[in-house]
Formats: sequence, structure tokens, C-alpha cells
Amino acid sequence: MSNKKSNELVTRIASYSILIFMTALIFIPILWIISTSLKSEDAIWDTPIEVIPSDPTLYNFKNLWSTHPFLQYLQNSLIVVCSATFISVCVSTFAGYGISRFNFRGRGAYMAFLLATQLFPSIMLLIPYYKIFMTFGLIDNISALIITYVSFTIPFCTWMMRGYFAGISKDLDQAASIDGAGRIKVFTSVILPIAWPGVAATAIYAFIAGWNEYLFALSFINTDTKKTVSLGIGQLIGEYRILWGEVMAGALYALVPMVIIFIFFNRYMVSGLSAGAVKE
Amino acid sequence: MKSAFAKRESRSGYVFAGPAALFMLALVFYPMAYGIFISTQKTNLIDDWEFVGGKYYLQLITDAAFLGTLGKTGLFAALVVIGNMVVGLLLAAIVNQKIPLANFFKVILMLPWLFPEVVVALIWKWIFSPLFGLLNHFLFTFDLIETETDILGKDSTALAGVVFVCIWKGYPIVMLMMMAGMKNIPQERYEAAAIDGANKWQQFRHVTLPGLKPIILVAVILETAWWFKHFTIIWLMTAGGPAGKTEVISIEVYLQAFTNFNFGRAAAESVIILVILMAVSFIYSRVLRDESE
Repeated sequence: MSNKKSNELVTRIASYSILIFMTALIFIPILWIISTSLKSEDAIWDTPIEVIPSDPTLYNFKNLWSTHPFLQYLQNSLIVVCSATFISVCVSTFAGYGISRFNFRGRGAYMAFLLATQLFPSIMLLIPYYKIFMTFGLIDNISALIITYVSFTIPFCTWMMRGYFAGISKDLDQAASIDGAGRIKVFTSVILPIAWPGVAATAIYAFIAGWNEYLFALSFINTDTKKTVSLGIGQLIGEYRILWGEVMAGALYALVPMVIIFIFFNRYMVSGLSAGAVKE
Repeated sequence: MKSAFAKRESRSGYVFAGPAALFMLALVFYPMAYGIFISTQKTNLIDDWEFVGGKYYLQLITDAAFLGTLGKTGLFAALVVIGNMVVGLLLAAIVNQKIPLANFFKVILMLPWLFPEVVVALIWKWIFSPLFGLLNHFLFTFDLIETETDILGKDSTALAGVVFVCIWKGYPIVMLMMMAGMKNIPQERYEAAAIDGANKWQQFRHVTLPGLKPIILVAVILETAWWFKHFTIIWLMTAGGPAGKTEVISIEVYLQAFTNFNFGRAAAESVIILVILMAVSFIYSRVLRDESE
């Protein structure tokens, strides 16, 4: 019996050691971004390294706005990502409901195609898209990015929504249709209101995916005022001299929406994503 | 009567799934087919189109440099996927125990998932920097090195550095999937194992792992597909360097298209990635299915 107890103790010590180690590994970079962003260009090169800046300054945050059209980046990102998220989520919610409820010809093939898209290297779409956007004059135009991001997110969003709807009892649909409601009416007035957490989780996923995207923005956008946030801060380390204080300030700007999402929607994120991932 | 019902069912299905299907046809299926077409052309994508058939494919599969790039990509993806699976599973198992603060750590451990890849690349490039980077400072303080080491600039360590960063960014999604999978394993199985005298490790080995098999399969396939084609973190940290040590296939495709303007060859390379990913996921699903029988 005492052997079992000491075993438990060892497991527990090991568990917490790993958790504390991981926490450090996560927080050190976060603190380091904040610390660097608050230092003047000279203080960054001070030895020994100051972890907490003795003379904190917001210079980097301000200077970044004046040397780069950062507000414009932010606006571009928000337009692109919100539009793409909106389109994807609308279309995917309908599709997810359709495949979770109705048996139609081609349903199996459709689901297989959705899964297979996860295997398609996104880079495979890069060149054909480049040519198609060239034809329509959409190179260096943010609508090209909206279209691209919609294409990335629809498959995964549909899959997530399908998982969520599969968890909602079909009896509800039946009860509503006995009352004489049509299919669309059942969906919009009975099912959709209770599926709201799933829709939120899916929207968050689509938003994060778009906000993070870099390769396609890099390939399709040239003009500075049309760049997205990822592209804008990515270019900071391509510059002749890397100003780490400004780079870290830029990184913090890019993190703001993620932090907001995390604070408000963290519960939806985990439950929604796991529903989509597990239900087959 | 039944067939009328089936017809209506079917029609509702099309109404709901139709718009998404149209989007997929126009935005994924058509461009892919078009990409395959481009891979058979010597073209500048504007006015110069010359059919060359399988020339680029033949060129690629006999090109030692390209095969080397594939090898590097395979190694990179394998290391990241194994790392993510091990770290993700381990952490999921730990926070899944009924221990104090488990929920708090769940939230903390998810954080890297929220970090945009660009931001992840920038932070770690700064930490790894040979000039006043935090890592060098740390190594100096503990007398582990005598001169500055440039992790990302040295042939021997560049790949390891990039892999480490990709695991830092990538494990939370695996952890999340595993946590979800663990919820579906009935508690009675653990109780039965505990009665048989199994300790925590044995319970993990004989109850948790087998119960997670289907979700592990999904995770490994998705992870492989994601990391095999990964671009952003490597591009920003090393741009494929030093001396091509971290030049993975996506970087090769990007350079081939937008630096060399060799669009046909770049398209052929991306088709090869697709074929490899399909083959790999087919093999995975076979192997894991056979094992569970």
C-alpha cells in the first residue's frame, strides 16, 4: 500500500515538474517580447541583459506607426480576415448541417473530398491562383486574399460544424418538422440558435487561420499600403538592420486580436475544436 | 411513399451542402486541376505557353538536389510530428489527471497555438540571435559556451533550431485533440485496470493509448500534411539557409516560382508534394489499422 502511495507521489512530482518547465518555456519568450519592446535601441545592447527595463519607453510602439503604415496593415488584415471568416462560416454552417442530417447521393464523396483537402499542399494552389488573379487583375489587391482564405477555411469549418451538429439530437429536428416547419425553417429557428457555440468556435478558427496566413499574402501583395499585419511585421526582419525593439512591438500588435479572442472565447475554442476533431 | 421521402431528403441535402460544394469546385478543385495543367507547360504565365508533357516530372525525379530537398523536408516533418505527438500526448495525459491546477495549466499550455507563425518566428529568431540573444546570454551565464553560437547560422544546428520552434508552436493542437479523445475513454476501464494493480504508467500504456488509436491516426495524418508543406516559420528564421540546410520543399517551390519564374517546374513540384502526402496517409492508415486488428 505504501508502495502505491509513493508511486502516486512520484507521478505527481514528475507531472508538476513538466508543467512548470513548459510554463517557463512558454512565458520566457512572452516576457522577452514585452521586455525588448519597452527598451530603447541602446538598452537592447546593454550587458548584462536587463530583464526588466530600467528605463522603459514606448518609443518603439510609436516609431513603428510612423515608419510603417501599421494602421493600414491592421485595417487590411481586419477587412480580409473578417470577410473571409463571414463567408466561410455562413457556407460551412449550412453544409455542416446538410451532411449531418440528410442522406444524399455524393455525400460520402463530398466528405472524403473535404478531408482530402487537408492533404492538399496549400502551395499547390499558389501558382494557379497567381495566374487566375493575374487574369482578373487581382494581384496586389486584398480581395485576392479574401478568396484564398475562404478556400482554406471552408473544408475545415464544414468539418467542425458537422461534428457540432452531429452532437445535437435529431429528435429536435423531427419534433419541429411535425409542427409543420419546413427544413430551412427548422434549421434557422430551432437548430441554429442552439448551435451558436459551435458557430462561434468555427468562426474563431477561421479568424485565427486567416490572421496567421503569410505565404499567400507574401506572394500576391506588393504595395506597402495593401499589406496585412503578418506580412507587415514579417518584412521587419528582412530589413537591412533589424531593430529588435520595433520588431517585438510589431509582434505585440499582431498578438492583440489573439489575446482578445482568447480572453472572451477561450471556452468555445476548446469545446468546438474538439467536437469537430473527434466525431467521425 | 418512402422514395418520395428519400427524394425530399436528398433535395434538402443538396440545398444545404450546395453552396459549399460550389465554392470548393471553384476555389479548390478547379485551381488544382489548373495547377496540374501548368505543370505540363513551360510558361511565364502570361503569353508564353509551351506544352512539355512530363518533362519537369522526369527532370525532378532524377535531380539529386530536388531529391535532397525532399529528404530534408521528410526529416523536418518527421521530427516535428514526432515531437508534437510526444509532447502533446504527454501534456494531455498530465492535465487530464485530477490534480490541482490542471485547468489552469490547460489554458497556459494552449497559448502557443494562438501565436501567429510570423510572431513565433520573430521571437525565437531574436532569442537565438548570436548578438545579445537571450539564449547565448543564458549559455554564457552557465558557462556552457565560450564564444557566441549562431544556432540558426550553423550547418549542424540550424535544422534542430527550426524544429524546436515548430514543436513549440505546434504541440497544443495535438494536446487538444488528445484531451478530447481521452474524454471518450470510459472511466470504468481505468477502474478495472487499477483493480488489476496497474500503475499510472501501465494505465496510460494499456488503456489510454489503445483508446486513443483512432484519434492518433487522424492527428498523425493531419500533422504530417501540415508540417510537410510548412513555409512561414522556416522562411522567416533561416530563409532555407545556411547553405540550403533548412531548404524545405515549400521554400523550393516559392523560390522556383517567384525568383526563377519557372512556374511549370514549381507547379510540378507541388503536384509531387500532393502525391507524397496521399501516399504517406494511405500507408499510415494501413499500418495503424493492421496493428489494431
